[in-house]
Amino acid sequence: MTAVVTVSRRIAASAERLFDAWLDPKSLAVWMRRDGSAPSGAVADRRVGGAFAITMHDPNGSFVHAGNYTVIDRPHTLEFTWRSAATHQTDSVVRVTFRPDGDATVVEVRHELLPDAEAVQRHTAGWTEIIDRFARTLAENGDA
Amino acid sequence: MGEYQLDTVLSAVADPTRRAILDRLRVSDARVTELAREFPISLNSTSKHIKVLERARLVERHVRGRDHVLSLRAEALGEAVAWMTQYREFWEQRLAALEAFVLADADGDVDADAGTTSGALR
Repeated sequence: MTAVVTVSRRIAASAERLFDAWLDPKSLAVWMRRDGSAPSGAVADRRVGGAFAITMHDPNGSFVHAGNYTVIDRPHTLEFTWRSAATHQTDSVVRVTFRPDGDATVVEVRHELLPDAEAVQRHTAGWTEIIDRFARTLAENGDA
Repeated sequence: MGEYQLDTVLSAVADPTRRAILDRLRVSDARVTELAREFPISLNSTSKHIKVLERARLVERHVRGRDHVLSLRAEALGEAVAWMTQYREFWEQRLAALEAFVLADADGDVDADAGTTSGALR
C-alpha cells in the first residue's frame, strides 16, 4: 500500500551544486550519514539504471541503503529506488526535486512506498490529511 | 509494527468513506446500524468497510446484547504516524547535512574531492 513522506528545505546554493552533491558518491559519503557518525561508504553508477549503495554507520551498526537511478535530469530531478532494512528490503521510490528560489534552491524529497505511482497519487491527499489530523489529535490529547 | 499491519492500516485509511467512519467514531462510539443510517451507503456496504477497519485494528467491536457497538482504536494509526515520522526525520536530517556540506565548501567546487584537497587550505 501507499505512504508518502515529503520533506523540503531551502538551501542557499545553486540547483546544479545541490544536484551534484546528491549524485556524486564522494559528496554522498560526507553528508549522507547519521549525525555525528563516521563518513558513509558510497558507490554510485551515475546513469539511469545504474546502482548505488550507501553504507551508513550508526551506534547500532552499519546499514546499507541501496537502489537504482530511474531519472537523472540535471539540475531538476533525481529519482531512484531505495531499499534498506527500514523498507524490509523492498523497493520504495525517492524523488528529489531542485527548484530555484531567488538566490537559493528548494530541495524537496518525496519518498513513496508504494505499489504503483498512480495509487500513491490518488491517495496522497487523503493520507496526508488524516495523518495531519491525527498528529494534531495525538498532540492535543497528549497520548500516543 | 509489522510491515503487513502497516499495509492494512494504510489501505484502510486510503478510502474516503472509511476515513469518514473513523472521523465519526472520534466523536463517540456508534452502532453499526447508526453508521449505516448516517452514511449514504447500504448496511451491507457499511459492514464491509467496518470489516476492513477491524482488520487494520483501527476499530473495535463490542457486542452488547443485540447491539454491535464500534469504537475507535487510535493506537494503530499512532503507530503508522510514528513510522512515517521516523522517515520524515531521517530525510530532514539528511537535508540539513546536505546544506552544511554545500555551504562549508562555499567556492562551489562541484567535485567534493577537489574541494577538500586544493585551494584555500593549501
